[in-house]
Amino acid sequence: MSFNFEFFYQTFFTAFRGLPVTLKLTAFSLLISLPLGFLFAVIRLKERSKVKNLVSVYISFVRGTPIVVQILVIYSLIPSIMASIFKGLDIKMNVFDINPMLYAYIVFSLNTVALLSEVFRSALATVEKGQLEAAQAAGLTTFQGYRRIVIPQAMVAALPNICTVTTNLIKSTSLAFLMTVKDITAVAKVEAAYGYNYIEAYIVIWIIYIIICSLVEILFKLVEKRMKVYKRALVS
Amino acid sequence: MIEVKNVHKSFGKNEILKGVDLKVEKGDVVVILGPSGSGKTTLLRCINFLEKADQGELLFKGESYHFQHASKKDILNIRKKTAFVFQNYNLFSNKTALENVTEGLIIARKVSKDKAVEIAKECLNKVGLADKYDSYPSQLSGGQQQRVGIARAIAVNPDVILFDEPTSALDPELIGEVLSVMKLLAKEGTTMIVVTHEMSFAEDVASKVVFMDGGVVVEEGTPKEIFCNPKMDRTKQFLRRIIRNYDYSI
Repeated sequence: MSFNFEFFYQTFFTAFRGLPVTLKLTAFSLLISLPLGFLFAVIRLKERSKVKNLVSVYISFVRGTPIVVQILVIYSLIPSIMASIFKGLDIKMNVFDINPMLYAYIVFSLNTVALLSEVFRSALATVEKGQLEAAQAAGLTTFQGYRRIVIPQAMVAALPNICTVTTNLIKSTSLAFLMTVKDITAVAKVEAAYGYNYIEAYIVIWIIYIIICSLVEILFKLVEKRMKVYKRALVS
Repeated sequence: MIEVKNVHKSFGKNEILKGVDLKVEKGDVVVILGPSGSGKTTLLRCINFLEKADQGELLFKGESYHFQHASKKDILNIRKKTAFVFQNYNLFSNKTALENVTEGLIIARKVSKDKAVEIAKECLNKVGLADKYDSYPSQLSGGQQQRVGIARAIAVNPDVILFDEPTSALDPELIGEVLSVMKLLAKEGTTMIVVTHEMSFAEDVASKVVFMDGGVVVEEGTPKEIFCNPKMDRTKQFLRRIIRNYDYSI
């Protein structure tokens, strides 16, 4: 076996063509999941209704099933269901023409919402009850108290875990090829298939993910450092 | 000016307040004494609705409110006219000393930022923290934090300040600096309701001492009446124990 350096070098740049797809998947899923995850966390902390149970079941469901299985189920289930619905309603639309990106967005958002809601729930619990009470006693509404006092502190506790969720999400998007989405992994695999240069292609993917995830980590570290200025230990 | 009537509050099956009445006039310093579990703190928390009482009436500046029916708007209005000093300070840990004081002014009372900063600096100077404007709570000692807590309370110019054991979490060495600030406020005629175990403060400063036990007011009167000539056995017993344990020279 010989390592094809030229192929390695070329594929490295070719694979970057999949980068926008990977980033789009990550960014969109995060955009949906951050507010929804927060909402779900608040529901789980506050409500005592059926909504709370529903959210809990959803979270256990997502956490208890491998993402590969979720992808396979959603990617085959939704089109079939929609096809039969459209047929029943006599709508002329080929569900199999739908951009597979849509399914990818759904799967990764469903997953990330569940994970982030757990992250936010534990983060909100780290803020002492007295902080909100002090805000209320100062005349702030509960909403203002959350927005100005509780959430900024909870965010500091949540950031390291949001970073983990984000890097996990980036890595999970490599499974999008199962839905024929052409992300970094898919592009590299296609390149490899021409001449059976799989090892080179896999190492390329490996390196690219390390680069992206490291950059994300550095970014989060910077934000974290800025946000926890107030936690400086006793100086004077 | 403030009067609560027949306050009841239970936590689950545990009845903490069993019909408490309390009357506070403008300029009064009312000190509430009593063993732990007697409901002092709960009473204080009920007055500004941090705890929702099950039953009772609140007369505040000529308005009457029912504890269990007060609307969110009523509660917000009452809170804007009162201030609360917590046992464990509860300073906003993500805000500097100055921001802790301005928060209630700018956000809740819509004071302009410049004006709020001016008021906040004045209040911090008053409690002796002129050099700590930009310190975060994590950089301050307990006594300093509690003084910021008091500055935060006086900044909003409230009709009454509620003190919930303001010195209980402090080192004995730091208690003095907080008490002297409170004495200063009392001298200026600030209306205060103080839950404390500091007998010297009660004796020196209080215009009225209220002794609570088991969720009811056992006895109330001037410091002289309570400390020198208590009528109820329960009060005598409590004072004997407290005064034997703590011997403060003034």
